[in-house]
Amino acid sequence: MSSDILDGLYRVVLDLNFEDAEDLAKKSIEEGIDPLQSAEALTKAIREIGEGFAKGDLFLPDLVLASKVLQRALPVIRAEIKRQGKKTHTRGKVVIGTVFGDIHSIGKQMVATLLLSSSYEVIDLGVNVKSSVFVEAVKKYNSDILAMSALLTTTAYEQKNIIKDLISKGMRDKVKIIVGGAPINQEFADSIGADGYAPTAPLAVTLVNKLLGLDSGG
Amino acid sequence: MRRGYIRNIEPLKILTDTQVEAIHRGTLDVLEETGVRFESQRALRMFKKNECIVDFENNRVRFPSYLVEECIRRTPSSFLVKARDLKNNLRFGGNTLYFMCSAGARISDPETGETRVATMKENNEAILISDALENLDYFPSYTPYFEVEGVEPVMLCPTSCAMRLRYSSKVSRGAQSVDTYIWEIQMAQACGAQLLGNMEAASPLSYSEDAINAGFGYAEALFPIYIAGGGVMGGTAPVTIAGATISNNAELLAALVFFQLIKPGVGIIANDIEYPMNMRSGSPAFGSLGISLHEAAFNQIWTQFYRIPTNNCAAGFPNSKLFDLQSGYEKTHCAMTSAYSGANSILLHGGVSAELAYNPLMAILDDDLAAIIGRHIEGIVVDSESMAIELIKEVGPIPGTYLDW
Repeated sequence: MSSDILDGLYRVVLDLNFEDAEDLAKKSIEEGIDPLQSAEALTKAIREIGEGFAKGDLFLPDLVLASKVLQRALPVIRAEIKRQGKKTHTRGKVVIGTVFGDIHSIGKQMVATLLLSSSYEVIDLGVNVKSSVFVEAVKKYNSDILAMSALLTTTAYEQKNIIKDLISKGMRDKVKIIVGGAPINQEFADSIGADGYAPTAPLAVTLVNKLLGLDSGG
Repeated sequence: MRRGYIRNIEPLKILTDTQVEAIHRGTLDVLEETGVRFESQRALRMFKKNECIVDFENNRVRFPSYLVEECIRRTPSSFLVKARDLKNNLRFGGNTLYFMCSAGARISDPETGETRVATMKENNEAILISDALENLDYFPSYTPYFEVEGVEPVMLCPTSCAMRLRYSSKVSRGAQSVDTYIWEIQMAQACGAQLLGNMEAASPLSYSEDAINAGFGYAEALFPIYIAGGGVMGGTAPVTIAGATISNNAELLAALVFFQLIKPGVGIIANDIEYPMNMRSGSPAFGSLGISLHEAAFNQIWTQFYRIPTNNCAAGFPNSKLFDLQSGYEKTHCAMTSAYSGANSILLHGGVSAELAYNPLMAILDDDLAAIIGRHIEGIVVDSESMAIELIKEVGPIPGTYLDW
């Protein structure tokens, strides 16, 4: 029974079946399955989705729907992990969001999902996020990475403002900062004092691994 | 006033009357039940005062159908935009077709396709070339380049507008980001000109505070307005052309109501810039067939059913990175479809590699394309003289010829 449910959690991600995700996660808890094993089943599947997308075998809707499955199942499993006083293994914490003045979300969501699939804990602040909210989240979650997205030439500079705010609060050296979005390039990232830039979502994961001195494995 | 080209052919109808009606009703349904997000308390208060259902907490406005249809009726079928030089004034609408310059982030090398940031000198030379082109009637915002060496991004829009006003007397469209409209309005007024004001949606069904502030600013300056959606089919709009047309329509009609409530009777041109999404990269599939099909439906609904002028953007943003055959067919199928289906304006000149690059040499080539397309829609004369029936009878079969008549 235990292996059936764990297989079900694994399959629910690969099948992009967001409708059954939450019920299956709840069922795993009712059946007394170790929530760490349940989390691992979900993570293994999302990792395969991420790899398929990076290779070009899967498409963007696959990635987004798999992310939706996790958004429904993981909170249930994480709450149980917390209730049991257990600890999960993640490769690091990433705070991510689209900057103030900009409400574009697809690129940011792609990066968030691929980081999740690479065993990072991702705190997604959403879109149109004010500098103070980024700074507060970095502090609250003690994040290893701050990832900022801007899709407009005019909002790209908001990334610089956030870096300035981190500097003024003495927090700049505590977090690695990466930036992305259509108007961003390496030259711009260097000019605003970011630690890195990646032109695509899969390369953003490679960049995070590199900045944290980790290999590419999950 | 610039003449443009005068359409003398029946516009293409890609939709049946029943389909047009179904799309319009679908749009009203979305506007009334789902509504549109406006991130501006000032806008929300205005909508509330005018009998819209407003959710202040979630910035959502739901529009009663009678108000939407009343605002469509209030919108003129043609309107004038005053240029710095009167001979470059424009009257959008009716059967007139104008061409607008395209834009690109960087300058493209015509041989290699490599791009780099343009200098201010190159920016200004490109404006001068555009000013001289016979079939290029006006400029959009941040044109020709939206990166210029030595100009901070936050200053790009007002700087770009200032250079266009200095080096060309043709009409320009204003920009909407980071309060640039405040300076652009004053610069235009100082030159005795109007800008086409601007408010663009962030799809799906949303308007950012920057865009709304610009909308208020341009309308209160009594400038006519350019409204734009901008969904990516499959990403920020439904993947089907009919669905994307409804979603885009809802965004644009929400903007139209916004402007007609601020200044009843203000002239509006509705832009179409909807692309299918590349499902591997998430980027828009520029130059693809879905775009021109969407434009044909859009023009039919807006110019023939609503009787409101339209602009189409797809022809100016080819997917090709080079000056090549691919660029030629991508631009031509989009621009031809736009012209035949009733567009009043087509963005065309100078675009290379989607929105990433621009080159004035391409603008010169595109001016020829504009002339061909423009001449096409002017059609042919059919009267007693041009039918030449008496002449045909007189010349008769071989050995008769028409060389000596």
